[in-house]
Amino acid sequence: MIEVRGLSKSFGTMKALDDVSFRINRGEILGFLGPNGAGKSTTMKIITTFLAPDGGTVTVDGIDVLERPLEVRRRIGYLPENVPLYLDMNIHEYLTFVGRARGLEGARLRERLEWCVEACGLRNEYRKNIGELSKGYKQRTGLAQALIHDPDILILDEPTSGLDPLQILGIRDLIKSLAGHKTIIFSTHILQEVSPVTDRVVIINEGSIIADGTVADLSRGAMGTNRVFVGARAEAGAVETALRALPGVTELKPLRAAEGCRFEARGPFSDDLVGAVERLARERGWQLTELHEAPYSLEDTFIALTRRARGLKEVA
Amino acid sequence: MRSSLTIFRREFAAYFNSPIAYIFIIAFLVLNAGLFMTGFFLNGAADLRGFFGNLPFFLIFFIPAVSMRLWAEDKRLGTFELLMTLPMRTADVMLGKYLAALAFYLVALAGTLTLPIMVGALGNPDGGAIFSGYLGAALLGALYLGIGTFTSGLMRDQISAVILGIMACFLLFVLGIPAVAATIDGWVPGFGSLLQNYLGLSSHYEMMLRGVVGAADLAYFLGLTVVFLVLNALWLEGRKY
Repeated sequence: MIEVRGLSKSFGTMKALDDVSFRINRGEILGFLGPNGAGKSTTMKIITTFLAPDGGTVTVDGIDVLERPLEVRRRIGYLPENVPLYLDMNIHEYLTFVGRARGLEGARLRERLEWCVEACGLRNEYRKNIGELSKGYKQRTGLAQALIHDPDILILDEPTSGLDPLQILGIRDLIKSLAGHKTIIFSTHILQEVSPVTDRVVIINEGSIIADGTVADLSRGAMGTNRVFVGARAEAGAVETALRALPGVTELKPLRAAEGCRFEARGPFSDDLVGAVERLARERGWQLTELHEAPYSLEDTFIALTRRARGLKEVA
Repeated sequence: MRSSLTIFRREFAAYFNSPIAYIFIIAFLVLNAGLFMTGFFLNGAADLRGFFGNLPFFLIFFIPAVSMRLWAEDKRLGTFELLMTLPMRTADVMLGKYLAALAFYLVALAGTLTLPIMVGALGNPDGGAIFSGYLGAALLGALYLGIGTFTSGLMRDQISAVILGIMACFLLFVLGIPAVAATIDGWVPGFGSLLQNYLGLSSHYEMMLRGVVGAADLAYFLGLTVVFLVLNALWLEGRKY
């Protein structure tokens, strides 16, 4: 369990974090989202005790990061954004070093090495110097380093940056396989990476949290209206008039269609738009070619939220 | 202590993982033995004063080059963040690194043990003076390394670290030179001698060359080394804020 309360941090005159608060329960996976430079890394560095906050508190399993940093560090596996690798060592030497530094030895160390090599797919290059490894192997070696002591908590700063799609899939699967056993925070500025792994996201922008919740909840809050795509084999003008007349429709946009007509209808989330259109079509005898709700992508939500946050700042 | 040992092992191996270690050691041996031998037969004395006498100046350049990578390299590689989030105190990490550099220097110094063997074969040297001379050389290196470790911690790149380290070591060296002390005395009476006695290293080092190991001299070298190591740890801790 990690609890972040009222965190603030400045570097010189630049305010990196301003009153940041959120919490993650045991076994939860949290996607930490934000544009580059929003404060994701700074927050993670504070949770891992690398940096101290100017104000606010962070507790990890109830332990304050400023009061007992060593106990916090023991519980956390951390992959910083700049993967911390000694280029003159091979993977075996490096992981052994980190394992020893984390208090592992003997059979337990060998067992954990074995596990990490297997889980992170490092077998083929195990005795190769890290300086000669590809970006993907380096990233996975960094991840193995974070996992070596089997920590309860994983803090991963941009774990998939610079990887190819197949490698991203691999890391994603690894994170998913750890779900339930471990508390995980991973940051990214690539939105598509979040949804497959977790529902829970915290969005940070310019040092402030602008959203905290599930992807579905956030898009409801951010976009305000539901949207439904309707396609029908019928006369476009008639369909448009009829759709506009529906009480749940606040906005209607004609779309291009190969045959018949297509519309994007928007309305409040509280109304059953799909049901209403279906009833209407049955009454009028239209043949529907398409009728479905289109959930907003995290991208749309994200853009709407950051825009709104910026607007609020300008007003203030 | 166990944490320091883990760090020590990695850092010590790191010296020998690169060709730099061998180049350093060979350069150290060739330059020192060469400088010593050029004067040795002219002096015609069976002692190592010439060798030990060169060290304070020679090490000003050699030692900061050994210690420059200690922190600066980690900062460049990003491993600094790893080290500072391991479950060990900053002081333990620092001690492991410092002792690794010291061990490396002692290996290089041990390479010069051929000199006393040769001198012993050619004449009848004062064994006590040679022993105290080596003790002095070890302590001198330990002090310079303390300074070099500190300057490496201040810097992000190794070149700045080595230049700053050379300047700091040079300052201690220069303050101990009587002519410099006299000049400063000319500006502020008594101040130059004060600096010479308390900070300058020559007087303390000279005593050891003569075979005298005094408590004050030991305290000077060890005390100042500890001061720089503590400063190093405090600086690295303070960086968090």
